[in-house]
Amino acid sequence: MKYLSLAFVIIFSLNTFAQSILLKGGMVHSGTGASAKIQDILISGSKISSIGNDLIINGKTQVIELNGLPVTPGLISPMSNLGIVEINALDVTRDDESDILKAGFSIFNAFNPHSTGIPWNRSNGVTSAITSPGSSDFPMFGLASYFILDGSLEIKGLRDVAMFGRMGSSYGSRAETLAVLESLLELGQKASIMPVEEILEMRLAEQLELQAQDIIALNNLVNNDLPFVLETNRAVDILQAIALKKKYGLNLILSSVEEAPMVINQLKASNIPVIIDPMDNIPDSFDELGSSLILGKILDQAGIKIMFSTQRSHNYHLMRQGSGNAVAYGMSYESAIRGMTNTVAETFNLGNRGSLVKGKIADIVVWDADPLEPSSFPKFIFIDGKPQALTSRSTRLTERYTDKDDKPSSYKH
Amino acid sequence: MRNISHLTLLLLLTAACSEMNMSPSSAVQNSNDYFGSTYEPMESEPTLFQSANIYDGLGGELFDYDLLIADGKIIEIGQSLDQSGVKVIDASDKWITPGIIDIHSHMGVYSAPSVSTSSDGNEATAPVTAEVWAEHSVWTQDPQFALALKGGVTSFHVLPGSANLFGGRGATFKNISKNTIQAMKFPNAPHSLKMACGENPKRVYGNRRQSPSTRMGNMAGYRNAWIDATEYQEGMQELDSDDRPKRDLAMDTLKGVLDGDILIQNHCYRAEEMAMMVELSKEFDYKITAFHHAVEAYKIADLLADEGICAAMWADWWGFKHEAYDMVPANIAIIDQARNGTGCAIVHSDDEVGIQHLNQEAAKAMSAGNRAGFEISKAHAMRWITSNPAKAAGILEQTGSIEVGKDADVVLWTGDPFSVYSRAEQVFIDGAVAFDVNDPKTQPVTDFDLGIINPQATRVQ
Repeated sequence: MKYLSLAFVIIFSLNTFAQSILLKGGMVHSGTGASAKIQDILISGSKISSIGNDLIINGKTQVIELNGLPVTPGLISPMSNLGIVEINALDVTRDDESDILKAGFSIFNAFNPHSTGIPWNRSNGVTSAITSPGSSDFPMFGLASYFILDGSLEIKGLRDVAMFGRMGSSYGSRAETLAVLESLLELGQKASIMPVEEILEMRLAEQLELQAQDIIALNNLVNNDLPFVLETNRAVDILQAIALKKKYGLNLILSSVEEAPMVINQLKASNIPVIIDPMDNIPDSFDELGSSLILGKILDQAGIKIMFSTQRSHNYHLMRQGSGNAVAYGMSYESAIRGMTNTVAETFNLGNRGSLVKGKIADIVVWDADPLEPSSFPKFIFIDGKPQALTSRSTRLTERYTDKDDKPSSYKH
Repeated sequence: MRNISHLTLLLLLTAACSEMNMSPSSAVQNSNDYFGSTYEPMESEPTLFQSANIYDGLGGELFDYDLLIADGKIIEIGQSLDQSGVKVIDASDKWITPGIIDIHSHMGVYSAPSVSTSSDGNEATAPVTAEVWAEHSVWTQDPQFALALKGGVTSFHVLPGSANLFGGRGATFKNISKNTIQAMKFPNAPHSLKMACGENPKRVYGNRRQSPSTRMGNMAGYRNAWIDATEYQEGMQELDSDDRPKRDLAMDTLKGVLDGDILIQNHCYRAEEMAMMVELSKEFDYKITAFHHAVEAYKIADLLADEGICAAMWADWWGFKHEAYDMVPANIAIIDQARNGTGCAIVHSDDEVGIQHLNQEAAKAMSAGNRAGFEISKAHAMRWITSNPAKAAGILEQTGSIEVGKDADVVLWTGDPFSVYSRAEQVFIDGAVAFDVNDPKTQPVTDFDLGIINPQATRVQ
């Protein structure tokens, strides 16, 4: 039982009795980019009702003394496969690919709130995530959705918040990928003036075997400002992507962008936010020869909005380690925190989450030490103002195998 | 008596070599003379690190100590050491650790860029390919070597992949880019043999409708190979060379394991499979040096400690396949603490990004262990990326700790090596500065990096 820390016990007593909770004297990183300061946060119901110093509380408020522990908004992964991929190598546990739909493939209805990745990432501080379709040969993979990671069967989140796609090295020419992308965007333009059925009868739509859902998604992309996350790396491809944004008025976000430093001025002028993995400095393809650890610093110094992906599946909380490395190589600390929280919320219009500001939803993590140190860990986690247990399959297995009782392990539970 | 037997051996060898057709046993003997290390340390000057904080890699820590290295070796550790005639580096408020060692790397055999033409790590054409040697695939211009060096990695063990039951021999390298493989090989380091359990071999061959397609098929495949190897080993002891079997590269490797010259590095995730591999090693009388990946090692931690087998693990990878489903972040700590702290835990990378941050991976594993109720210090956790991997690679006598007489493979860190904000400021290999963060001239640039984006520039500086 040693694993059930004091934090665990406090959380459950909180859950039962308290009407409001005061997080007193934490080092608050608001997620907005402002410098951290010691503040109190009052949680009433699902919201942050007050934030400041010496807040007035009534007798029914549970007070948690933080003594300067770091507090951040709950982390938001901007690109995950949480809830739709249980085990990568087992196709029967994957819901991230479609054989029929392309741009209009929505993963929303596949989301499994009981997936083991959810408590694991939640206990590591990720309180919500954008879950995106897996990559495919087609330049648009489909539609990502946003999910609150409270594990509830009453799924909370937002359906189809962004389109995901990719441009760069493949078995065909990137010139063809670009041409197909443009053609799709043109179909999207037509969708505002032509019925879906007529577009489907167009030669290109037939050739690409598009479905009604694809056309609707393209319409949202071109005419309704649906965010479009396009993965691309080579400097000249980034310029092509910037040109696409201008030509079609896209709400474009670029991901990976390993050669962005070579076109930093154009990228800055384009106002495009980016999603990067700051630890990936491997020239893993001939598109990424400029890959380096100073990517985050250069983007940050140019004032570009930055969010963070992770190299591997299942551990989206490792964006903390990634952004920590970015800070070690010159990114500002508050940009790193903001990149894991408020920048994601703003970029993808995720509503009232992502920052520690009065009136926002109380998705909050209190850390045992600097959240950018990989060795740090959450002490308290709140989603919608509700305390969350730090339990996961991993903690259950750890308890079982550190229990020195002589019984067979299957009787330790 | 000893002299006589030496003389006899010498005569036998001379006789064998004088024959036109070399006998099998002398050929085996001589095979060790080929592809050997030609590594030479770079030029170095005697260097004194003043007032450093030191993790010695064996669990010890020293605050405000001096360290003297010269002629490629660690000469003295003490306070107020004589600084006359040596280069002095002010190391106050900085940390010194042994050079970081990765026991599981595919650098050079899966080089960057990761394209089909540089995919040289799995000879996935038959389940038993003990005849192949990873070093014969290594591309010396892999840009990943230099990136690992910036992360403090001074030695690494390159293994074949895990498609096969027996994937081939692994070899250990000093992290100095040269343009021949032999010039990078760690002098006198033993070969390893890569074995693989579980999903990979049964998937690769099962998909081709051949054995193994199941875990029991895996076991039968290992046992059949060891039966052949035992017979080969016995056959090679025949006094009359005509009675010996024809030389066989795969059998040479397996025989090397049975003879105790080649170390087993065994890719294995699940607890019961690792226990089964231990039983297999007893059936054929060989030793397993380390289980690799070992996601479920924590379930059999006492067994591994009792058998003296190391486990090389990730801090937190999981979920990418079924046998990696039961991950616990305390795995490394549980192995370390087994049987009153006699377990051998290693943090490995198996990854070109992870190898650059093994210090951070160890930090995660340490804090997860402490959350699970252990009391593991930083000095102790440093063993997981220095002396323990050195032990598993068979190079602990030469490197892996800050001890007088050892190779001067050391890293000077800008701060606490377990912090994300600390970086390797200087990396020394055999006493020579292999990397200096403040001096571009002391940062290796491979042929690949040179002029590839812009003819006037190098790829990254």
